[in-house]
Amino acid sequence: MLIKRKTADVQRGRLQTAIAGLSSGVMDRRAFLRRSGLVAGGIAAAGALQIGSVRKAEAAGLGPATGTKIIKNICTHCSVGCTVKAEVANGVWVGQEPAWESPINRGSHCAKGASVRELVHGDRRIKYPMKLVDGQWQRISWDVAINEIGDKMNEIRAKSGADSVYLLGSAKFSNEGAYLFRKFAAFWGTNNVDHQARICHSTTVAGVANTWGYGAMTNSYNDIRNSKTILFMGSNAAEAHPVSMQHILVGKEQNRANVIVFDPRLTRTAAHATDYIRIRSGTDIAVIWGMMWHIFKNGWEDKDFQAARVYGMDDVRKEVEKYDPKTVEDITGVPEAQMKRAAETFAKVKPATFIWCMGVTQHSVGTANVRAICNLLLATGNVGGMGNGANIFRGHCNVQGATDFGLDIANLPCYYGLVEGAWRHWARVWDVPYDYFVTRFDEVPAKGGRPARTRKANMETSGHTSTRWFDAANLPTEQVDQKDNLKAMFVMGHGGNTIPRMPDAVKGLEKLELLVVADPHPTNFVSLGGRKNGTYLLPIGTQFECSGSRTCSNRSVQWGEKIVEPIFEAASDYFVIYKLAQKLGFADPMHKNFEMIQGKYGPEPSAESILREINKGGWSTGYTGQSPERLKLHMEHQDKFDLVSLRGAVGSPVENDFYGLPWPCWGTPELKHPGTHILYNTSLAANNGGGTFRPRFGLTRERTLADGSKVNDTLLAENGSYSLNSEIKDGYPEFTMGVLKKLGWDADLTPKELETITWIGGNAIDAVNWANDLSGGIQRVALAHGCVPYGNGKARANAWNLPDPVPTHREPIYSPRVDLVAKWPARPDERTLRIPNLHTSVQKAAVEKGIAKSFPIILTSGRLVEYEGGGEETRSNRWLAELQQDMFVEINPADATARGIRDGAFVWVSGPENNSKARVKALVTERVGKGVAFMPFHFGGFYQGQDQRGNYPKGTDPIVLGESVNVVTTYGYDPVTAMHEGKVTLCQIAAA
Amino acid sequence: MARMKFLCDADRCIECNACVTACKNENEVPWGINRRRVVTINDGKPGERSISMACMHCTDAPCAAVCPVDCFYTTADAVVLHSKDLCIGCGYCFYACPFGAPQYPKVGNFGSRGKMDKCTYCSGGPEVDLSPVEFQKYGSNRLAEGKLPLCAEMCSTKSLLAGDGEIIAQIYKERVVKRGYGSGAWGWQTAYKETIAI
Amino acid sequence: MRFGAHFRLLVTGLLLSFAVAFAAPGSAQQVNPTADAVKEQQFLDALKGNPSAELQGRITIPDQKAATLERPAGREWREFHQGTMLRIGAIAVLGTLIALLAFYLIRGRVRTEAGPAGRTLTRFNAFERFMHWLTAACFIVLALSGLNVTFGKLVLLPLIGPQAFTNLSVAAKWAHNYLAWPFMVGIALMFVVWIKDNIPNMIDLRWFAAGGGIVGKEHPPARRFNGGQKVVFWSVVLGGAALSVSGFYLLFPFYAGGVLNLQFWNVVHGIVSVLMVALILGHIYIGSIGMEGAFDAMGSGEVDLNWARTHHSLWVEEEMSKGHVGGGPRLQPAE
Repeated sequence: MLIKRKTADVQRGRLQTAIAGLSSGVMDRRAFLRRSGLVAGGIAAAGALQIGSVRKAEAAGLGPATGTKIIKNICTHCSVGCTVKAEVANGVWVGQEPAWESPINRGSHCAKGASVRELVHGDRRIKYPMKLVDGQWQRISWDVAINEIGDKMNEIRAKSGADSVYLLGSAKFSNEGAYLFRKFAAFWGTNNVDHQARICHSTTVAGVANTWGYGAMTNSYNDIRNSKTILFMGSNAAEAHPVSMQHILVGKEQNRANVIVFDPRLTRTAAHATDYIRIRSGTDIAVIWGMMWHIFKNGWEDKDFQAARVYGMDDVRKEVEKYDPKTVEDITGVPEAQMKRAAETFAKVKPATFIWCMGVTQHSVGTANVRAICNLLLATGNVGGMGNGANIFRGHCNVQGATDFGLDIANLPCYYGLVEGAWRHWARVWDVPYDYFVTRFDEVPAKGGRPARTRKANMETSGHTSTRWFDAANLPTEQVDQKDNLKAMFVMGHGGNTIPRMPDAVKGLEKLELLVVADPHPTNFVSLGGRKNGTYLLPIGTQFECSGSRTCSNRSVQWGEKIVEPIFEAASDYFVIYKLAQKLGFADPMHKNFEMIQGKYGPEPSAESILREINKGGWSTGYTGQSPERLKLHMEHQDKFDLVSLRGAVGSPVENDFYGLPWPCWGTPELKHPGTHILYNTSLAANNGGGTFRPRFGLTRERTLADGSKVNDTLLAENGSYSLNSEIKDGYPEFTMGVLKKLGWDADLTPKELETITWIGGNAIDAVNWANDLSGGIQRVALAHGCVPYGNGKARANAWNLPDPVPTHREPIYSPRVDLVAKWPARPDERTLRIPNLHTSVQKAAVEKGIAKSFPIILTSGRLVEYEGGGEETRSNRWLAELQQDMFVEINPADATARGIRDGAFVWVSGPENNSKARVKALVTERVGKGVAFMPFHFGGFYQGQDQRGNYPKGTDPIVLGESVNVVTTYGYDPVTAMHEGKVTLCQIAAA
Repeated sequence: MARMKFLCDADRCIECNACVTACKNENEVPWGINRRRVVTINDGKPGERSISMACMHCTDAPCAAVCPVDCFYTTADAVVLHSKDLCIGCGYCFYACPFGAPQYPKVGNFGSRGKMDKCTYCSGGPEVDLSPVEFQKYGSNRLAEGKLPLCAEMCSTKSLLAGDGEIIAQIYKERVVKRGYGSGAWGWQTAYKETIAI
Repeated sequence: MRFGAHFRLLVTGLLLSFAVAFAAPGSAQQVNPTADAVKEQQFLDALKGNPSAELQGRITIPDQKAATLERPAGREWREFHQGTMLRIGAIAVLGTLIALLAFYLIRGRVRTEAGPAGRTLTRFNAFERFMHWLTAACFIVLALSGLNVTFGKLVLLPLIGPQAFTNLSVAAKWAHNYLAWPFMVGIALMFVVWIKDNIPNMIDLRWFAAGGGIVGKEHPPARRFNGGQKVVFWSVVLGGAALSVSGFYLLFPFYAGGVLNLQFWNVVHGIVSVLMVALILGHIYIGSIGMEGAFDAMGSGEVDLNWARTHHSLWVEEEMSKGHVGGGPRLQPAE
């Protein structure tokens, strides 16, 4: 709402008006900035002369202004996807302008986005490859680095197997980088490949996908402008997704919408709520069931919606009966009246949307938490329409895309899973024999009473999760369900301080034979522990230093153009992955479909060609329509999209498209599917962005009645629920060649499509389906008949394949309410994802040891707006670092007074495991309730009171260092995804 | 000529500090100098509000009145600027400023003050518009390019408004009427001796 | 008077800061942060009862001064500096000059009635004179550079133009900052060395009763320092101390504890210094053209016996009893 002024209005009227006429011939601002770029390069070069900076200096030093180029990229921080508009002169990024035309951020940024230019100033970046030799950092060349790393990997592979090398990727990769890294893991022969989604929304993806089909935000940030009730739970969008608040606050203002915030802290987001409800950390299910108790009792539910589109709500109803207001108040601390009001508002003032983040997901019951929320949405009919839905705000700039492309222990790109069919599908796309991949995987010997696994079985077994990588290194080999323990970590763009139990991580680091950190900044992996050898640091460019697409939280895919060449000796992700593949001997088959272009240090695959390969294979998720050309067209015409509906304007080159072609964008690019702004939205036609719930779990489900007889319930939609213009006016299964034949629609296939289908299907052509038909014919025909390729099913209120099919409250592993543990215990011990998960043992031991008495304060954690993730990148940015110079713990005034703690004084926060302790500053505030403490998770570089600045290579240490909260956080893992319990543990605080 | 003002709609401000880093980015403001900052009132209590504050470019600016060397001047757009050539770093403007806007780099002996630095409304200083020396001393001159201060342009929630006083007052007024609440045009009474009647 | 507001501060010695008091929401039923939002009007209302109120919040940067969102008290200080200070300064300095001129015209130079005796005695030894002139020289520079801050832009700026004035002012600022230290040393030394001769006693009352002898013909008796000189001494010592303390805070603002305190110390510094300038103008007058023979005391350190008898009869008696009175060309005392 800013008024842009004409230049003429403001040119004059200065003290110096009289001499203004003399300005001709004077260097303009751009020229000046270019010159200052020279200075910056000069300083950097003085520290360590290398190609990058010299080139930068030369570029900057070129003659008079030759015009400034505007290059658009996407902010590399949270998942909102703000467009960054860079002014570039002679290869130097000289200024940032607001990108008014982006429908997502409309020129806005948060502190991080407004300071991203600093990332390529690079004062604190890793300047060249390095290795640790007897505790000293030595500069090496890229060739030496790749050679030595590759040799060591091969050595470990020969000795311990491919699974002993952990490939930890990044939510900061472009889609193409993520895909390439997953493909690399497939060629290397391991499923031990993961990224930050594990610690961010893995439980969301599991919970949501198991409910209605896809693991993603159902609507968009913009769509919240339509909401009349906005409920936040465990989300502090004001600090974690600031620009999203633009849409939310406008929605709040224009609709006079209710904003309900459930949180243990009165967050910056809660400060803008109309109803703030404080809850005890770790009681989310009881909160949701508490709301649903009122909804069911008062008949506020949407029965028609349930009947048509939901399976198993009665099972939920039965569970919810246990959660009467008194029980709920005892568990959660929320009085009946508050709960009832929230429930009534959410059910009756529609459309209502539910926004959640890590406050919900980072629990040992994370998946169940998510499932409970989905049930609330289903019960009230608040999904699949404008202004409602599960608005899951994801954390990193491309955590959605990296998840989509299978940087995950249990999936190949686009959620195909690890089954043989999935491998065969991708083998076809990659044009590499399926059998090749089988040979790359380890054979796992029988051990610990478990049978041996063949290569093929191992290939189809989920890998280790990143949350417990050190357990895979530390536990007795017997307990680790793979050939050998973890021996090497190859870490690209991932912090080392983001998961609990850092004292155990320190031990794990000592066990590793090889640690490779490939990152723009040295992460906490580098400073932590006392490694002396076998550690490599590779300088990687940020996403501003390479091109590629990224998927924001709302599934819109945006193309970012390289702004500057990677600075110093940094290289792109594509280059590093390619070079390592080359060293390991599979670069050629891996890159055979890619166009190789000349990168900074030699050939590397072009992002466009990688995206084309994705388009070729990403049918299951609708990643097939987003060709590089279409994405670039969208970036060029950002201003043509509607702010609320995200629809491209009539008559524009992007007419009818949704901005960024949010997946699923069915069929080939030529089909011009507009993408799907709102998932499962039956009020639009399937070929125009409409959808239905996805029947993924069979067509019927057997149910035993009270008299012992059995009936089969349908899992397909009923009561005339189907997407607009569907020719099938009922539920229907996913489309296969067989289904097409039954409907008589197979005649619509072109000969070429049929040829491909026949090639894929061989003898079983009927089994070829919408997700593995590389021709896209099946999808095209289904859409032509108004049908959604994946079918029209019911969402599942009861997800029978999950550990808790209907969620039930379980006390956190470290619970302050010992008295409730007996009634609401953690799950029994089990083995999940290659190692034991000792929920009950640890919880019981804590109760028996009286931990709740000696550690009486609930500790939770979260984000600060200035920093992100592990924080090395942002703590190295001088514009951001200045704003948060100390790690702190928020503590209630009552707790502070009782302990003699002053605001701003140092305190020791101690945790219940490993005698862990962290020295941080106290921030005494009523923001947290009595008995609750909060710590941000972005700090690192101090460990239990010790300054570890000296462990970073000289000149690369972040400006601000601090204790990591994860020094004191504890055990507790979700049974489905091994998400850590980062949001609730116990601690004690004492003045230091 | 327009009468340029700032207005922070505290009911929109989420203390994201974009204004702060945008300012640093645009003007290359060094560490320790905070031309703009965000202050949170009643921090952690229900009803907390954050307000982004910088030089408000007051009507009858107190800094200008007390300056012993008369280094301040007001532009035709009512932006209060000063000359670093004339400033002697005495600190008087800081005593007089109701908003804590003037900043001083620490230089020389006794930790004494260097030449004062403050928000220029992204409109440079008394050098030739858009000249290198202007940038070096005062930062960018967006106004001369027909643009508004970057802090407001990049504000995450469009809380911080910059532009002609009457227009931004109108925007604010419409918002308050639409949504039914408003915590006030912070600082306007003090800076401009006027407030926005709703 | 605005000035009064600042003196209230002096009296209470408190930094009155204000944070909008917030009552916890009364209803346990609903916490509605939007409805309960703090309003600026609450602060403006509170301001009416306490014009020195500050609106304080929380900020993450280390500079805690920045946590003050609004401090309208700057207005009062501005009015003091641009109004009261100017008037007091002008009255004190110009008024004194005019008064001295008038006095000179009416009374003329005070002569030593008996004429020179030809014999001198040592009034101030070399160290005392060094100490005096050190302080005096510093004071003159400090006073001029200080006056420049308030009056320079009215007097000098139009004459020499902005750039020259700034150059001068910068030099003046540095001179002021540096010479403050020897000035403080001088004040401290004078205090130690001369305090024993400056204890007020009954003789001073008689001296004042007789108007110091300047009015009328009879000179009241005085010891080493007469009542008037004691007034100068104590004014300089106390004023110097006030200037030192206030100046210290102005020079090291981080120790002052907030801008309201800085404003207060600035007021103290300004008022005390112009009063001292007025006093010292009188002191200079009487020590130079105002009185015959007075300058010698700080010039050569030797004063004529008759001058001494006139103005410091009791001191002369003491000195003579100690045999300190020399003759003709004075001989060094054999000590």
